[in-house]
Amino acid sequence: MEIGLDIFLQVVVWGLYAGCIYILLATGLNLIFGVMKVVNFAHGQLLMIGAYVTFSFFVLTGFNPYVLLAASVPILIILGVSIERLCFRPIMGTGKLNEIFISIGLIYILENVAAMIWTDEWKVIKSPFEAITVTVGSMKIPVDYIIIIITTAVTLVALYLFLKKSRLGLAVRATSQNRKAAMLVGINVERMDMLSFGIGAGLAGAAGTLWVVSGQVFNPYMGSVPAVKAFAIVIIGGLGSIPGAIIGGLLLGIAENFTVFTIGGAWKDAIAFLILIIVLVLKPTGLFGEKAE
Amino acid sequence: MLMDEKNRVILFICLAVLAFAFLLPLATGQNAYYLTVLILMVIFIIFASAWNFLTYSGQGSLGHAAFFGIGGYISALVAMKSGLTPYLTIFFGGAGAALTGLFIGAICVRMKEWFLAMVTFGFAVIIQVLVASQFREITGGWDGIAAPPLISSSVPNYLLYEYYSILVIAVAVLLLFRYILQSKTGLAFSAIRENELEARAAGIDPVRYKLFAFMVSAFFAGLAGALEIHYLGYITPEIFGVDISFWPIIYSISGGLGTLAGPVIGTIVITLLWDGLQSLGLTYPRFIIIGVILVLVVIFLPRGLVSLPGEIRKRAPGWMAWVHKRIPR
Repeated sequence: MEIGLDIFLQVVVWGLYAGCIYILLATGLNLIFGVMKVVNFAHGQLLMIGAYVTFSFFVLTGFNPYVLLAASVPILIILGVSIERLCFRPIMGTGKLNEIFISIGLIYILENVAAMIWTDEWKVIKSPFEAITVTVGSMKIPVDYIIIIITTAVTLVALYLFLKKSRLGLAVRATSQNRKAAMLVGINVERMDMLSFGIGAGLAGAAGTLWVVSGQVFNPYMGSVPAVKAFAIVIIGGLGSIPGAIIGGLLLGIAENFTVFTIGGAWKDAIAFLILIIVLVLKPTGLFGEKAE
Repeated sequence: MLMDEKNRVILFICLAVLAFAFLLPLATGQNAYYLTVLILMVIFIIFASAWNFLTYSGQGSLGHAAFFGIGGYISALVAMKSGLTPYLTIFFGGAGAALTGLFIGAICVRMKEWFLAMVTFGFAVIIQVLVASQFREITGGWDGIAAPPLISSSVPNYLLYEYYSILVIAVAVLLLFRYILQSKTGLAFSAIRENELEARAAGIDPVRYKLFAFMVSAFFAGLAGALEIHYLGYITPEIFGVDISFWPIIYSISGGLGTLAGPVIGTIVITLLWDGLQSLGLTYPRFIIIGVILVLVVIFLPRGLVSLPGEIRKRAPGWMAWVHKRIPR
């Protein structure tokens, strides 16, 4: 099929927007993995909770859903910190399998608590800016996409500044580089675990809000598919590498949209997995993997 | 053959359990509800044992539903197209699952458990999407397809015969696993699990053994899946659901990982609990209860229910002392 430049650009912009949600999820996963050396398999379920928190506040208050980031992020941070304290802290260091099993238990708990509170029907809300588009050259871009891309960029820059410029961020990076040495220089590594899990969950909450705002449907069991894509990004970009997550997320978002455009919508969810397999076969540590784990 | 005291006790318990499993449906007057619970329980014992077999080689999977479902679909399609009895086609299902397992295993074999867990988890989710949408023509999409029954329902007492045949298969599978694990292959598995580098130094090829473990595990997961759908009489993409991947893990962990008895005990206990909670009307809360149990078992009883007697023996003196201190004299 012949694809003109304008269509190409359009697909890239759609891809950037779709990639944003995955980037937020994957960055959180990588931050948690960097510090705790734990992959949180229930990360997609945190996105789902974030989506429902946004939905509830939207129904209750009628605020602009973008403002509700101020509700979903703090609530998810609190949830993340509680999960770290109650579930992961007791089994840290007892073996990777245990950490995987804890995540599985969490998936069951989160999905079904959500189903009890909000029922298991598909829900959707509409963004107030739904009908507004911005014309750039020959492209029509919905203003929602632009807001989502900017929100994600601002969040990531804030995270970057926190990690690079603040003392607390320095401590987080030190813990993720060498846990024992960090302990020796007086860093409370358990507090860093809590902090990184909290931030990771908060990012998932933001992703949940953006999911809802972009008009995508959600139910209590929808968390697995975005989670799988986040895993794919994490593997593609390299486990524990945040720049890898950003580039991997953008690549996946764009690849997905090209798939929809060329092969058909049904393969949209499978393309992440195909890319994943290709990367694993060619470069098992991921494109930006720092070290083999 | 000479056996020490402990082994004789274990053999006796196994035989007693088998006799009980054989007589139970007769004693309850072939109650259809009990038979259904028993049949599904035995199928999941095969499934959980197959999953557990993988962990002997130091690998783990979060997506065994993929093999369970592939086995089911292949067996259903072959049985429908060829008219062969499901008792033969389940082996086609197992073989298809084993080939898929070989493919997934080959991608991940050089990687550590995180990658394997993420890839298998993703594989099950993706295959569900594909089966439901892309391969709709042959799989019937979300509506699914009918699967020929194991034994035609016109045969009197067909449920009882299905139960006995599945029970025989389960016992055969468990004996086969026991045989493999006690052979040199089993030793190689433990060597790889404990320290892959040392195993390689000792002349064991980890890749070969890991792939073998993955294939065997996927084969019997597929076989269990085929048995389930022929028993149910239909198959839908829901067979690839995340919860189907997690059941064998939950059964194996709560029973005791890395033991042959673990998945069996875990399946029996959790299934009974599950059906008990269902009859209390706790449809959603029971998932939460199972999730909480899983978290608690991992934290407080990491070696599962099989380690419970030992744990109690170890801690009982402490408890007794605690009680004695508080009894006023």
